[in-house]
Formats: sequence, C-alpha cells, structure tokens
Amino acid sequence: MATKIELETGGSVWKVLVKQGDQVEEGQTLFIMEVMKMEVPYDAPAAGTVTALNVSEGDVLEEDFVAAEID
Amino acid sequence: MSWEPEADEIKRRRALALEQGGADAVAKQHEKGRLTIRERVEGLLDPGTLDEVGVGAGASERGEDGELKSFSPANFVLGFGKIDGRRVIVGGEDFTMKGGSPSDAGLRKSVYTEQLAIQYRLPLIRLHEGAGGSVGGSGSGRPSLPAPVFATARFKSVAQVMATVPVATAAMGAVAGLPAGRLVASHFSVMSKSTAQVLTAGPAVVERAMGEKKTKEELGGAAVHTKNGTVDNASEDEPDALAQIRRFLSYLPDHVWELPPIGPQDDPVDRQEEALIDIVPRERRRAFDMRRALKLILDQDSFFEMGKGYGRSQITGLARLNGQAVGVWANDGKFLAGSMTADGAQKARRFMEMCQTFHLPIVSFVDEPGFMIGSKAEQEATIRHGANAVLTAALTTVPWASVMVRRSFGVAQAAHYGPEGYVLAWPSAESGPLPVEGGVAVAFHREIAAAEDPDAKRKELEEMLAKRQSPFPRAEAFSVHELIDPRETRPMLCRWVDRIQPLLPPLVGPSAFSVRP
Repeated sequence: MATKIELETGGSVWKVLVKQGDQVEEGQTLFIMEVMKMEVPYDAPAAGTVTALNVSEGDVLEEDFVAAEID
Repeated sequence: MSWEPEADEIKRRRALALEQGGADAVAKQHEKGRLTIRERVEGLLDPGTLDEVGVGAGASERGEDGELKSFSPANFVLGFGKIDGRRVIVGGEDFTMKGGSPSDAGLRKSVYTEQLAIQYRLPLIRLHEGAGGSVGGSGSGRPSLPAPVFATARFKSVAQVMATVPVATAAMGAVAGLPAGRLVASHFSVMSKSTAQVLTAGPAVVERAMGEKKTKEELGGAAVHTKNGTVDNASEDEPDALAQIRRFLSYLPDHVWELPPIGPQDDPVDRQEEALIDIVPRERRRAFDMRRALKLILDQDSFFEMGKGYGRSQITGLARLNGQAVGVWANDGKFLAGSMTADGAQKARRFMEMCQTFHLPIVSFVDEPGFMIGSKAEQEATIRHGANAVLTAALTTVPWASVMVRRSFGVAQAAHYGPEGYVLAWPSAESGPLPVEGGVAVAFHREIAAAEDPDAKRKELEEMLAKRQSPFPRAEAFSVHELIDPRETRPMLCRWVDRIQPLLPPLVGPSAFSVRP
C-alpha cells in the first residue's frame, strides 16, 4: 500500500531531493520545506519507490497537502 | 421466620444488575464494535478487583402480591478497584440503558463519583459514553422533583477533585452534554478513534438550532478534538484507551498529599548516547527530531506523550529519570519552528499546572524561537495565552531543570525556565531578545537599505551576529549552571534528580493553584 507523505504545516518548498520513480531508503530525505525560516526535512518513512511527487521548489503549500507517495 | 426471602431477593437483584440493559441491548452494543461499561471496567482494573458501590441502586416494579417483577439497575457503574495494585475509583455510564442518559439512581451514583474520590483520596477514572439530561426526564415516568435550592453546587466536587487526586477520563462512544463536560474536567483524557465522538450537542440538536447538517464524526470525532485540545490523546480502540489511562496513572501519586511513586531504576544513570553529539545540525536553519533526543536522554521507553495532536510546536508528556517521574516539556522545531502559538501556550500552561499539582519536577528541553507572529497569531490572542504560560512557570514551586538545546528567545523563552531552576546549555544553544534572522532586518534596516546589495548585506550581518552566539561567554558569565557535551545530558539530569530529592517532601499538599480545563 502506498504511504502518503502529508505536510505537517504550511510553508514553502525549499529543496526537492528525489524524482518520481526513484528508489528510496527508509529515512532518506525526500524534500525540505521552509517554515518560519526553519528548514524542515521530510524523510521516507519506509523504503520503496516514489510513485507520486506533488511538490516543486518554490511552491507555497498548506497543511495536510499530500506531497508525495511511496510504494 | 428468618430474613431468607429478602436475602434471596438481594441476590436476585444483584444478578439482574449484572445483566445491564438486557441481552439484546448488550448484543447491540457489541455489534457497534463497542464494549459495555462492565467490560470496560474489567479491562481497566487488575482482574477481580472491582469492589462495587451501590449495586442495588435502580428502580423496581412489584406485582400485586409484592413479588419483584422487574429491576433495572442505575445506569452508572461505580466502584473501587485496583490498577497495578494501587486502589482507584472508577465510574461510567451504562449505554445499554437509556443510551447512558442518566436515570434517577444513575445520576445520583454519577455525581457521587467525585465525592468518593475526594473522601478516600484515590485517583479517579471516568469512562464515558452517553448523553446528558433529556427533556423526556429520567425515564421513571414520574416528573422528577428538581433539586432543592440549597443543594451543593453540582460542579463544586468536579472542580475540587482535580485539585486533590489525579483524574483520567476516556470517551468510548458518543459523549455529549454533561458527560462531555466531565470528560474534559480531567488531567488526562483519551478518546477511542474507532468508536468515540465528543459533542457539546449532537447532530439533531445542532441541525435544529443552527441549520447545520453534520454527522457525529464530523462534529466531534477524534480528528476534530485531538487537534483542538479538547481531548489529550487518541487511542486506536477502547482497550488502547484503557492502557493509556493505566500508563498515565503510573507516573502520578494517589493524591496531592503524596509524592509520585519511584519507578524502576534499571536504566544506567551514566548512559551517554553518541547520537546526541550531532543530533542538532550545525546548519542553524535545519530542524531536528526533538522526540529522538528525548528518547535518548530519558529512562528507556519512559516517555508518555500527552496532547501530541494540538499545540504541536510544544511537546509535553510524562517520563522518568532514574525512576523519578518528571514532567517533560520540549519544543518541536519541525512544527512552526517550535514557536509559542496560542494553543501551544495553553497546552504548556495546563501541563505545568498538572505538574505543580502533583509535585512532578519539570524538565524542559528548550528550542524556543519566541511567540508565533503574524496576523493569524494576533487573532488568536497569542500574547495573552503566551504571557499566561510565562507567568504560570514563574509561579510554580516544583523543581525545574532546563536544557538549552538550541534557541531560547524573547519573552516566550522565559516560560521554559522555572524559579531557581537548574540550567544546562548545549554548545548549540543560542539566546537573545529575538533570533538574528528576524532581529537583523529590524535593527539594521537603515544599513541594509543603504547597501548596494541589501540582501547580501542582511546575510552578512546575520552571519556576523550568529558567530557571536558562541556558547562559551554564557558559561564564563555563569549565566548557565553548566555548558555541557550533549552526551552528558542524561548523567547530569540524573544527578540533579538525586539532588532535588530533599526538596520534594515539603511540596506535598494542595497547590496554591491547580489545573483548570
């Protein structure tokens, strides 16, 4: 089952470190948000393939946005 | 002639009381995936320890010959029992009768719950499912006589009990009206995600009054109430809710005239975790996992988080350091940079009040950038709630240890340090009136505006000021007790715990202030 990576807070996307289709390890950083001048990394909760990636650098997004899916 | 007939009837009535709303009503309760109140009580207590109060309360009907025709027990189960060998009071509505809406006897037993806990000085657990009063009355068929004007105020004992003994509550099904009010009048509340909703008023009343059409789950499901702080924790199901209550109580004394019990002392006090040396990134803007730091420092698996779903920039929970129960408060830099929001401040304030009430030393791990700012924060009265938290900390009398993990800024940081507290600083500690990133833009706005490349100038100034944030002057000035290697945090805190032991016994008794829901 695909795991959804949802944003815990609103903010802007600072860096995207993976591409759709990439194989990722558990704990690997997928993308980094900037929230209140702090960089907040979002890490893969489990190993798998990035099946969806809905963030691009510079995007300003709201809380609960589904940023990526890993299967 | 002996009293054998009456003795037989007592036995019959007791047996009938155990049948609750009858086999059909119990089956219906199970179909909905919910336990009955008796199953809940059994699941909560050590096996066989329920010592019930008022089993015979209820209403009966007799035939013309005086023979007992029927007996319906009070729809509130109340009793003494034991959790991990310690005596407690437990009570809860019986949903299989009248949907938990109080019968005459049910209401009497229910309002007696708090009095019993105060009188016997025992922790109180309420397991709620049901609604409050009904315009249809108590179901006895007679108009009920209103309480006398001189009756003791109903909620006086509900308030007093919170200043006297630990109160833990659970929402197991739909909880509305009076039971909802009592659910939140507690030091710890939990709701079962799969079965519970908490409602000031249910969908029918809401639709009639407000024209708003919503389901119970939409109005008051766990997704709503764990995010707004109405309920502290969500549980997967009912047994998980009961397990969380047992866990919560394990850190607390039976009442305010006692100290919290000392737990197992099987985690070495001198354990130093290597991972702590680089857990805070040198890149000042990079957030880190505070919960992981807590796990590495506190007694193994001892951290019990409360209120994870709301006020999320602040982390609060109970834990142990060499067996000593402590209240733990930390910032989560991953959530709104760890800043003090209005809800975070209310969560922290309520948490400090609980620690103060039950003589739990507070250990704070500080990474506080200051109050949350912006128009949303202003609308939420952040400064009022934040100042309340700051003043609450200032009024506490329990021992405090504060570890400056990273940022400690503004007025908000003051909430993280108690009076005469023990202060440790990691090399990553930064402090001041406000973080350089915000402060530079304000303090040097003329210089920045006049520069050829204002952005570069601002960054240059930020860099320069950040470099001044060296941890050593802080230690030289004795503005912290010790500047430490982060790996030494556990040994240092465990030594502190040993040092404060003589300070704890004089704290017993009611606190000058206590928790308000």
